[in-house]
Amino acid sequence: MSALVSDVGTRTAVAAANLVKVYGKGDTAVRALDGVSVSFAAGRFTAIMGPSGSGKSTLMHCLAGLDNVDGGSVDIGGTEITSLGDKELTRLRRDRVGFVFQAFNLLPTLTAEANILLGLELAGRKPDREWFDTIVDVLGLRDRLKHKPTELSGGQQQRVACARALVARPDVVFADEPTGNLDSRSGAEVLDFLRMSVRKLGQTVIMVTHDPVAASYADRVVLMADGRLAGEIDSPTADSVLSALKHLGA
Amino acid sequence: MLRTIIAGLKARTARLVLSSVAIALGVAFVTGTLVLGDAMNASLRDEFAKDARNVDVSVTVDGGSSEESTEIPGITPETLAKIRQAPGVAGADPRDSQTVPLVAANGKAKPAFAVPLASTEKLREFDLAEGRYPTKADEIAVDKRTAATAKLTIGQPVVLLGKEDQRHTYTLVGTYQQGTNQLSLGGFDHIGLTPDAFQALEPERPPYQVVATAAPGFTQQQVVDNVRKAIGDNGFRIQSGEELTKETLERVEARSGEFTTLLLAFAIIALVVAAMVIYNTFTILVAQRTRELALMRCVGASRGQVFRSVLAEALVMGLTASVIGLLGGIGVSALLQRVMFSFNDGEGTVTLPLTVTTVVAAFAVGTLVTVLAAVLPARKATRVAPVAALRSQPDSGEEVSRTGVVRVLTAVLLGVIGVGAVVFGMGMDDEEAAMFTSGAGTMALLGAVLVLGPLLVGPVNRVLGALPRALLGVPAKLASANAGRNPKRTAATTAALMIGVTIVSLVTVVANSAKETANAEIDERMPADYTVTSAVYDRPLPKELAEQLAAVPEVAKVAPTTVVFGERGYFTGVPRDAIGNLFRPTVTSGSLDDLGDGTIAVNADYAKRANVSVGSVLSIKPGKGEAQELKVVAVVEGQRLSDGIMTMETSLRFEQAAAGYDSILVKLKDGAVNGRAAVEKVTDPSPLALLDSAAETKEQLNQQLNQVLAFIWALIGLAVVIALFGIANTLTLSVLERTRESALLRALGLTRGQLRLMLVVESVLMALMGAAIGLLLGIGFGWVLTEALSNDTISVDLVVPFGQIGVMLAGAVVAAILAAALPARRAARTSVVAGMAEA
Ligand SMILES: Nc1ncnc2c1ncn2[C@@H]1O[C@H](COP(=O)(O)OP(=O)(O)OP(=O)(O)O)[C@@H](O)[C@H]1O
Ligand SMILES: [Mg+2]
Repeated sequence: MSALVSDVGTRTAVAAANLVKVYGKGDTAVRALDGVSVSFAAGRFTAIMGPSGSGKSTLMHCLAGLDNVDGGSVDIGGTEITSLGDKELTRLRRDRVGFVFQAFNLLPTLTAEANILLGLELAGRKPDREWFDTIVDVLGLRDRLKHKPTELSGGQQQRVACARALVARPDVVFADEPTGNLDSRSGAEVLDFLRMSVRKLGQTVIMVTHDPVAASYADRVVLMADGRLAGEIDSPTADSVLSALKHLGA
Repeated sequence: MLRTIIAGLKARTARLVLSSVAIALGVAFVTGTLVLGDAMNASLRDEFAKDARNVDVSVTVDGGSSEESTEIPGITPETLAKIRQAPGVAGADPRDSQTVPLVAANGKAKPAFAVPLASTEKLREFDLAEGRYPTKADEIAVDKRTAATAKLTIGQPVVLLGKEDQRHTYTLVGTYQQGTNQLSLGGFDHIGLTPDAFQALEPERPPYQVVATAAPGFTQQQVVDNVRKAIGDNGFRIQSGEELTKETLERVEARSGEFTTLLLAFAIIALVVAAMVIYNTFTILVAQRTRELALMRCVGASRGQVFRSVLAEALVMGLTASVIGLLGGIGVSALLQRVMFSFNDGEGTVTLPLTVTTVVAAFAVGTLVTVLAAVLPARKATRVAPVAALRSQPDSGEEVSRTGVVRVLTAVLLGVIGVGAVVFGMGMDDEEAAMFTSGAGTMALLGAVLVLGPLLVGPVNRVLGALPRALLGVPAKLASANAGRNPKRTAATTAALMIGVTIVSLVTVVANSAKETANAEIDERMPADYTVTSAVYDRPLPKELAEQLAAVPEVAKVAPTTVVFGERGYFTGVPRDAIGNLFRPTVTSGSLDDLGDGTIAVNADYAKRANVSVGSVLSIKPGKGEAQELKVVAVVEGQRLSDGIMTMETSLRFEQAAAGYDSILVKLKDGAVNGRAAVEKVTDPSPLALLDSAAETKEQLNQQLNQVLAFIWALIGLAVVIALFGIANTLTLSVLERTRESALLRALGLTRGQLRLMLVVESVLMALMGAAIGLLLGIGFGWVLTEALSNDTISVDLVVPFGQIGVMLAGAVVAAILAAALPARRAARTSVVAGMAEA
C-alpha cells in the first residue's frame, strides 16, 4: 500500500485524449463529447461537474469502457481501451474498474454480502478476507450482510455498492451521482467513505455529481459544458464550486 | 382514453406479439382437437348410415326374448317370397354373412366375411370402386382393401375354401368400398357374391335379416304394415328404415363415444395448458405495467378508467388472437387427419366441420381467459396507491410472500380427495371402473401439486440447481436465483409443461406396462419356437401336418393341441409327453403327474368360476355330442391358453377335437440352422397353416401399441410445445423486466456469453422443474393405474421405460435451450449504457 501512496499525484490512472462521442446522425446529431482531453491522477478523488446534458455521464461511460467512442483514445492504467473488443473490455472492467451508479446497483436476488463479492466471483478471484472485513466494518455493514437489497435503506444500498466497487482493489472507481438519491446524511456517509478510501487506502475515484457539497469532498473538480472541458478547481470548497458553476450558467 | 390504448398497443408490440402467439396457439390446439373429433364422428356416422340407406323395411329374426322364437332359425325362402309380394315392396333382399377362408395370391388362406350382394341394386350397402358387381354365380367382387392386401386383380381367379376345404373358384369382376361398420373397422377382409353363389357355400343356413325398399307412392309406415300383415309378427322384428337408421346411429354414438371422450380429454388438457400460458403471460405483462398504470393514475385517470383500458386492450388482443387461433386450429385438424389417414393406407378425405361449440370454445379460451388474466393483475395494480407504485422498482419479487393458508388448504383438500379416489379405485374389481376412479384420483392429485406449485419451486430449484451451480459457476448461480425469485411466476410457467409431461409419461408408462405384460403372456403361451395355427378359426389343421412336421430333421419336438368348447369355458388337449416341456403351467394344487385319461387340470381362475377343486368332477358339455365327466387332478396358473388342459386322448372323447388340431407347437433342435425355412416347406402347401413365432406375434402387438402411443405423443406434444412457448414467453418478459440488472451485471464484468448462459440455464431449470415433477407424477400415476388394472386374473406389472423418459428429458432440455435463444440474444445485444438508461 505504501507503494500506492508514494506515487500519489505522479502516476496517471485514467486519461482521455481528444475524446469525441456523437449520438444520432445528420440533423439530429448531438456531439455529447466534443474533443475532451483530460487525465486523472492515481490516488486522487476527482469530481466531474457541469450543467445537465453537458456530457458528464457520457464521459464517464466512455472512460470506463461501457460505451464505444467516435474518436480519440482512453487509457486505463496503461491500457489503450478504445481498440479493445467486448471480451477484453469486459475483462478489464471486471479486473480493474469499480462502479457505483445512482440507483439499482444491486441484484435483488443476492444478499448484501453476495452482492459485494459478485465482481470478484465473476473474475474468479478469491476475496481478500482481511480487506473485505476492513471495508465492511468501515462502512458499518457488518450486521446487514445477510440481508437482501429490498431489506436495506437507500443509503445502506449505496454503501454496499461502494463496498463492492472497492473490494476488488480496482485501478479506478467510477461513481455516477452516487448520492443523487440520498438524503444529506446518508450522502455524507457515502462521500466520507469514498474520500477515506482515497486518502487512507490510496484508491482512485472519479465521481459525477450535481451537488457542490458533494464535490467539495473531492481533491479536484473538472467542469464540463456542451461536451467540452470548461475549467477545473483544485481543493474545491462548496462555495468555490458554486461560484464556478454560476459562471458556467448552470 | 382510446388514444392512450392505441398508443399503448403500439409501444409494446414485442410483448403483445408474444402474448398473442400464446393465445393463438392455445386456441388453435383447442379448436384443432374439437374439429378433429367432430370430423371423425361425422365421417363415422356417414359411413355407418350406408348400412341403412334406401332401406324402408327391415325384418330380422327376433332371437332374443321369448323361448319359442328360437324355433325360427332364420328367414326362410317362403317368408322372403311373402315379403317380396307384400304391396308396396319394390324389392327385398336378404342380408347375411359367413366367414369363408379366402386364398390370397401367396397361397395362404385368410378368414373373410362373405356377403350376398342384393339383387335390388338400391339395397346394396357398398359403393362400387372398380369394375362391376358379379351377375353370375362364378363371379365375385371384393372390398378394395381386401383386393390390396390379398393382392387380387380384376379378371383373375379367386379361390374360397368351402366345406371340407373344398376349393371354389370365381372370377374377380369388381371391387367396392365398404361402409364403415363393425366389420370394416375390425379390418376384416370382405367379399361379395351373388345370392345364389352365397347360398351354395352353406346351403342349410337361412339368412337372419331381410331388407326391403318401398315402391314409389308408398310411405315407410304403409309398407311396414303391409309386410307385417304378410308374414305376421311372431318371431320377427319388423322395423321401418327410420328406426333402423336411428338404431344404427345409436350404435355409432356408443362406438365413437370412446374416441370423442379421448379427444375431449386432450382438448381439456389443451385448454388448461393454454389458459395457464395466457394467464401467466398477461400477469407478467400487467405487473410490468404497474408503473405505467400508476403514472396514468397520477396524471388524473380514475381507477375505473385505468381498469377499463386494460380490459379493452385485453379484449382486442384476445379477439384478434382467437380468430387467428381458430383458423390455425382448423389447419391443425386437417394436419392431424392427414396423419391419421396415413396410418390407414392413406384413404379418406379431410373434412373440417365447424360447430358452434367449437367457435364458442375457441373464443372462450382466447378471449375470456385473456380478459380474466388481465383483469386480476390489473385490479391489483390499480389498488396500489399511485405514488407507491411509481416508487417501487419494477421487479415483482414482492408478490411472493403471501403463499396463503387458502392455498395449502385447497391442496390438502385435493390431496385427500385424490388419495381417497385412488385407494378406492385400486380396490375395485371392475377394471374399467377402477381405472376411471383411480384416474380421476390422480387428476385431483395433479391439481393438488399444481396448487402447491409456488411452494415447491424453492426446494426443487435448489436441488436441480445444485449441479449447474457446481459446474457452471456464477452465471448458473445467478440463473438459479432468478428461477427462484418469483415462485408464483416460475410455478405458473412450469405448470403447463408439468401437466403435459405428467400425461405423456403416465400414458407411456401404462402403455409400456401393458405391452410388457402382453409380451410376457405371449412368452408363456408360446414356449415353442413356432406355433402353427389355422388361418381360419373354426377350421382345424389336418392331422397329417403334425406327422409331416415331426419328420423334418431340424425339428426336435412337435406337440399338436386340440380344443374343446364347453358351455362355460374352453379346454386344450395336449399330448401327455408335451406337459412339462412345451407346456409349463405353474401348479397351485394337485399334481400334473396324475393327469391321465379321464382327468383334467383347470386354471385357477376357472376353478373359482366353476367352483371346483382338486378331486371334484367336472362335467363338460360340448356344443355337439355328449357331456363328459372329468376328474380334476390339478389347479394350475399361468396357463392362459385356455380354461384347462387335458391329455390328447381325453380330448378325443369330444367330437369337435377329433376333427383336427387347433395348433401344432414346434420346437427346433438346438443349433438348427434355417429352421424356419424347413418348417415352411411343410406348412406352405397347406392353405390353412399359419406359421407364428413368439417374436413375430410380439412384434405385431408392439407395433399396434406403438401406433396408439405415437398418436397420443403427437397430441400431447402440441400441449408441450405450447408449454415451452410459455417458458420462452416468461423468459422474454423477464429479460425485458431485468434489462437494468443485465446491464449492471455486464458493467460488473459478466461477459455476453455468460449472460446468455445465465438465461439458458434459467430456461433449462424451469423446463426441468416442470419435467421432473411431471415425470415423478406421471410414473407414480402410472403405477396407480397399473395397480387399478390388475386384478386376480391379470397382474399388470409397472414398467418404467427409461429410454423414452430419457428422450423426454433430453427433449425438454433441448427445447428449453431453444426457448432461451431469442431472449438471450436480445439480452446480450442490449448495450450496457442503454440498459442502464432503461427505467
Ligand atoms: N442514448 C442517447 N441518444 C441520444 N442522445 C443522447 C444519448 N445519451 C445522451 N444523449 C445526449 O448527449 C448529451 C449528453 O448527455 P449526458 O447523459 O452525458 O449528460 P449529463 O451531463 O450526464 O446530464 P445529466 O446531468 O442530466 O445527467 C445530452 O445532450 C443528451 O441529450
Ligand atoms: Mg448524467
